[in-house]
Amino acid sequence: MIKKIFAVIIAALICASFVFSASAYTQEYVIDYADKLSSSEIEELDALAEKLEAAYGVTVLFCITEGTGDVTADEFSSGTYGDYTDNENGIIIVHDDWNKAYFTFISGNADKYFSDAAVDSMIDAYDTNESYYGGIYACYELAEEYLENGYSGGYVNDGEPVYAGEADEPKTENEKDGVSIIWLPVSLLIGLLVGFLIINGIASKNKSVKMQENATVYTRPGSMVITGSADNFLYNNVERREKPKQAEKK
Amino acid sequence: MSTILEQKCPCCGGAVEFDVGAQRLKCPFCDTEFDITAMPEDTSNQVEQINWNSQGAQWGAGETDGMSVYACNSCGGEIVADQTTGATSCPYCGNQVVMKGQFSGALKPDLVIPFKLDKKAAKEALKKHISTKKFVPKSFLADNRLEEIKGVYVPHWLFTCDAIGNANYKAKKVKTWSDENYEYTETSYFDVYRSGNIGFDNIPVDGSTKMPDDLMESVEPFDLSQVVDFNTAYLAGYLADKYDVTAEESMPRANERIRQSIIDSFRETVKGYDEVENQGANMNVANGIYKYALYPVWLLNTKWNGENFTFAMNGQTGKFVGNIPTDKKAVTKASLLLGAGIGAVIYGIMWLIELL
Repeated sequence: MIKKIFAVIIAALICASFVFSASAYTQEYVIDYADKLSSSEIEELDALAEKLEAAYGVTVLFCITEGTGDVTADEFSSGTYGDYTDNENGIIIVHDDWNKAYFTFISGNADKYFSDAAVDSMIDAYDTNESYYGGIYACYELAEEYLENGYSGGYVNDGEPVYAGEADEPKTENEKDGVSIIWLPVSLLIGLLVGFLIINGIASKNKSVKMQENATVYTRPGSMVITGSADNFLYNNVERREKPKQAEKK
Repeated sequence: MSTILEQKCPCCGGAVEFDVGAQRLKCPFCDTEFDITAMPEDTSNQVEQINWNSQGAQWGAGETDGMSVYACNSCGGEIVADQTTGATSCPYCGNQVVMKGQFSGALKPDLVIPFKLDKKAAKEALKKHISTKKFVPKSFLADNRLEEIKGVYVPHWLFTCDAIGNANYKAKKVKTWSDENYEYTETSYFDVYRSGNIGFDNIPVDGSTKMPDDLMESVEPFDLSQVVDFNTAYLAGYLADKYDVTAEESMPRANERIRQSIIDSFRETVKGYDEVENQGANMNVANGIYKYALYPVWLLNTKWNGENFTFAMNGQTGKFVGNIPTDKKAVTKASLLLGAGIGAVIYGIMWLIELL
């Protein structure tokens, strides 16, 4: 009897240990191969990334390393992403601190949230910050903004959508505005003028009675002889006009 | 009073007419055809003119000015015509008559171009002329009725001469180039002079005040290769007028056209310029001669909204002219629609260019 009670207790302990170990497992979102962050900083940043993953279903990883070893940058970034998450929708930004380079790998539908411009903005936010922690934090803040707006179909950055493929390059002021509506009445005015000329030209053909201008049709064939001809130069003048500047053209 | 001439059929005595298809005289009663030359110019069976005097009030002084009264050889009916009428038809029996005195002696035309196209062709030409025009009021198409159609030999003076003239032009050459900062435009001015001779043959000038000059000039040109010596037989079946504008009175119009021809013809020899502006011309006429000719013209009169519209067709070549009223509302509507469409296209193209 005692043996049976002991066996049940052992089994319960083993099961409890499995449950405990499962609940104690925490996802790493910030991978610090270069030892630039403290453990508390990593915890804070992981919590931030975990919140994003829970809210939007997209994993955002950030890795700081010093070199990529024997693999290429692409292999390193994709490999690291696969090593740290099973979520097929996500992004990893790798900072090679040694070579001062950045690599990214985007998986699944994360490209709907993170356009090239968005990724550039995130890297800029990281790069311009004085501390690693502050940079990654700013990067996650931007990621949240892009995820939120992409998720809700909204827009950011002065009305520009941030979806991938739609905002690869920042657009110029003219592209943003298109053709001003003020050109519509101008176009209509020109159209009306042209239309008036065309229609009146057609209508004028209803009048076919007119005096002849000359008698050229009655000229005796081959009878014209030019007996005197002179082309005398009188004077000339030259006008100079400054070319419009390139900026003025816009 | 003048005598009148009827071209009678030697077979049946009916009044013959000029047939445009056969280019011969044809009796509409027995279908016998005759050569123009077979018909005598003046026959012995001419009936003397008959004076018709009113039994009531007498014509007042000046009331009969410009009027002539003739008696029809066939029925004796009175034919009242103005003094320039040379050929017409009897209002009672319809016989075609020629006022012989109008084309005799010094008044005899030198040449005549016979009608080549008949009344049917003129009617079809009118129909085609109207149907091919745009913006014609619908009521004009529906209510316009042909009131009168008549083939008329219109008197013309034909002027032939050698014109000696000179013309001056102000010409301009424009050259443009640019460097890094500036665009340059050099304009050179020239005084251009041309003199020379041009020969003109048979410039027509309308010799009838009854015919609008612009209408007669609009049906030009006539093909003088088909002109024949005048014979009254050609007038059978048509109206004809003798001239009431003399050759001397017609010369200024001929000179005006010659002067403009010199300007235009010499202008074509002024080449290599970007702009040429006429500055005037002088001319003298040498070897000038003129002839008196009758040209065939179909006149068609229509009436619409109380307004008369006259159309004319060259009886030889078929050239048809005549002003047609324009539906101003339709023109405005079409202008606005087309203008809006063009405006939208312009705006759309601006968008496309902007997007590209």
